[in-house]
Amino acid sequence: MKAKKVISLTMAAAMAMTLGIIPEKVAHAEGEEQTLNVAVVETAYGAQMWHDVCDAFEKANPGVTINLTIDKKMEDIIMPAMKAGDYPDVIMRAVGAATALPETFIKDNNVVDLTDVLSMTVPGEEVTVGEKILPGFVDNSITNPYGDGQTYLMPMFYAPCGLFYNAALLEEKGWEVPETWDQMWELGDKAKEEGISLFTYPHAGYFDAFFYAMLHESMGTEMFQKALRYEEGIWDTPEATKVFDIITKLTTYTEPTTPGNANDNDFQKNQQLILDNKALFMPNGNWVIGEMAEAPRAEGFEWGFTALPALEEGGERASYTFFEQTWMPKGAVNQDLGKQFIAYLYSDEAADIFATVGNAVQPIKGMSDKLDGDAKLYYSVYDTGAVAVMDAFATTDPVEGITVRTTFFDPVDSLVTGDKTEEEWVEQIKKDSDELRAALKE
Amino acid sequence: MKQRKGRGRFIFLCLAPAAILFIIFMIIPTIDVFRMSLFKWGGYTADKTFVGLQNFVKLFKSDKFYQAFQNSVLLIVLVTIITFSLSLVFAAILSREKIKGQGFFRVIFYIPNILSVVVISAIFSAIYDPTQGLLNSILNLFRGGENPILWLGDRKIVIYSIIIAMVWQAIGYYMVMYMASMANVPESLYESASLEGAGRIKQFFSITLPLIWTNIRTTLTFFIISTINMSFLFVRAMTNGGPDNASSVFLSYMYQEAYTNSSYGYGMAIGAVVFIFSFALAGVLNAVTKRDEIEF
Repeated sequence: MKAKKVISLTMAAAMAMTLGIIPEKVAHAEGEEQTLNVAVVETAYGAQMWHDVCDAFEKANPGVTINLTIDKKMEDIIMPAMKAGDYPDVIMRAVGAATALPETFIKDNNVVDLTDVLSMTVPGEEVTVGEKILPGFVDNSITNPYGDGQTYLMPMFYAPCGLFYNAALLEEKGWEVPETWDQMWELGDKAKEEGISLFTYPHAGYFDAFFYAMLHESMGTEMFQKALRYEEGIWDTPEATKVFDIITKLTTYTEPTTPGNANDNDFQKNQQLILDNKALFMPNGNWVIGEMAEAPRAEGFEWGFTALPALEEGGERASYTFFEQTWMPKGAVNQDLGKQFIAYLYSDEAADIFATVGNAVQPIKGMSDKLDGDAKLYYSVYDTGAVAVMDAFATTDPVEGITVRTTFFDPVDSLVTGDKTEEEWVEQIKKDSDELRAALKE
Repeated sequence: MKQRKGRGRFIFLCLAPAAILFIIFMIIPTIDVFRMSLFKWGGYTADKTFVGLQNFVKLFKSDKFYQAFQNSVLLIVLVTIITFSLSLVFAAILSREKIKGQGFFRVIFYIPNILSVVVISAIFSAIYDPTQGLLNSILNLFRGGENPILWLGDRKIVIYSIIIAMVWQAIGYYMVMYMASMANVPESLYESASLEGAGRIKQFFSITLPLIWTNIRTTLTFFIISTINMSFLFVRAMTNGGPDNASSVFLSYMYQEAYTNSSYGYGMAIGAVVFIFSFALAGVLNAVTKRDEIEF
């Protein structure tokens, strides 16, 4: 009996000791071997540019090894380790994706404050990160999710969103690209006579960029910011009503089969409507060109891109800027090295690799001058007077059962099929906004 | 006495590995679902707040949950009734009647079951395509090409489009199960029945059906469980809950909340309700279909 007790005690002690000697991950001092875990989602830009940039960083920083995880389903790969408390040091994943990875970290107050990265000097250069980044990209509600003036998410590749169309078709028919919504409706009637619909959309999710840009056109910056914080009564204002009216009117000009394909599976069939000259305009971002590169198209097809039409003659024309973000979870072990890496991402060296290998453009001053060909057309939209809009709805604590997408954008499908009226849509927005407002992060 | 004790220990040791695995991989995770449903938790990070039954309170106030509930119940009822009757009829025809190409039909009916749900979804999204789809092309012969039916885009139709795909997928599986038990019914019963003057239909209801009743009861439980599970796969692959939430079901709503709305705890609350609901439904079905077993 006694022997048994002794044995079990020894074993328990052994177990306790092994627990103790499991090496804790600690940040190493300068000059030592260091490993940085970087997790990146693979997008249309491809994986190669990230491998190249990481190689270049390793070369510039002897002793540093980057452990790069890059995959289209990056979350699935890093999730098990994260559940066990093992977080990547740097993550590149934009808000707005279905998996809501950054949103979850933001809602849980689990992202590292990266404001000090802005004042870091870009490795190998004279300027600071903050000086290099284009204005507006680090002081919006996406990068400063808590509205406290601190930057938590760093802007990466950006892409203007707006309306895409077949430039050759408009030229052939002698139609002008509409600059106001009134001109848009006129064009819609003209096109209808020829059997072409004015509008289509890939799926309702694409209305986010569209909706933000429309709100900005109608409300102007200050009121737009209030709307993003779901201010009480904001959806009853004439400015908001104008936007709801236009979207509702637009649904009557929408290609009627659009909702039938407006899901993650078939949305390319809606994009195909533009290529086949069955619809004139769709809201999209410039990734659509790569996405539809292999698709058959009408003869002479040529991509055209424009900012949203203005509400009235001479009014503001807006184009939403979609951009991706890099950020660090609070569980990151190598925070200092991670910040250095993020600073490096804004160096000319890294930006050139991103631009040449992956055609990915960073919001760095002077970057759009270096572009040529098709890409120039999209990035120069802001040079021709369009206003760049790059905010999103403010972060809230999770509100069970309510998402921005299901409240604001999904009902567009029902508007097209006539299953919901504008009033029902706005009512739902008002009701859900009340709950979202109550859960706002202060 | 000593021998009996040794035997008991032997049995215990033999059963222990299976029991331990069962507890670790089935019981504990299930309890964990119930436990997690009492927390407010994003799912990725370690921050959890205990909120008691709050998640359930919110759940029972949510229109979206009732929509998903309604859709799921509709799916369970319709898919079960349609699949059940069709596969029973097909099984009876294929095992009792002499028709040409029996083996061929058996294979044809079973094929959808081998295909993955993603493949089936691709097939059906081609069939349901508003302009070039098989279904609308045929219907256009009768109703003209104006106002095509949006099989996956119309709030009122989309759930039925999913039902059609699910029935198509499930028929073969249940048909084969029914055929297997029909093969066990002794031929002599049918012979004597036909000597007594019972027709084919009478034979089916008085001999076949009662004698495969145990099998039918088992499959009814399968229907509930598989419809809840399969409907998630179909909805994910075909519509992702759209248009405008019209085709969301139990598990797609749970997935949406747990993995895209940072509300993992709330998602687990949905999971707990689904768990209880499917258990209860299976229990009720089992109770009402209880008959005295007929031996042959």
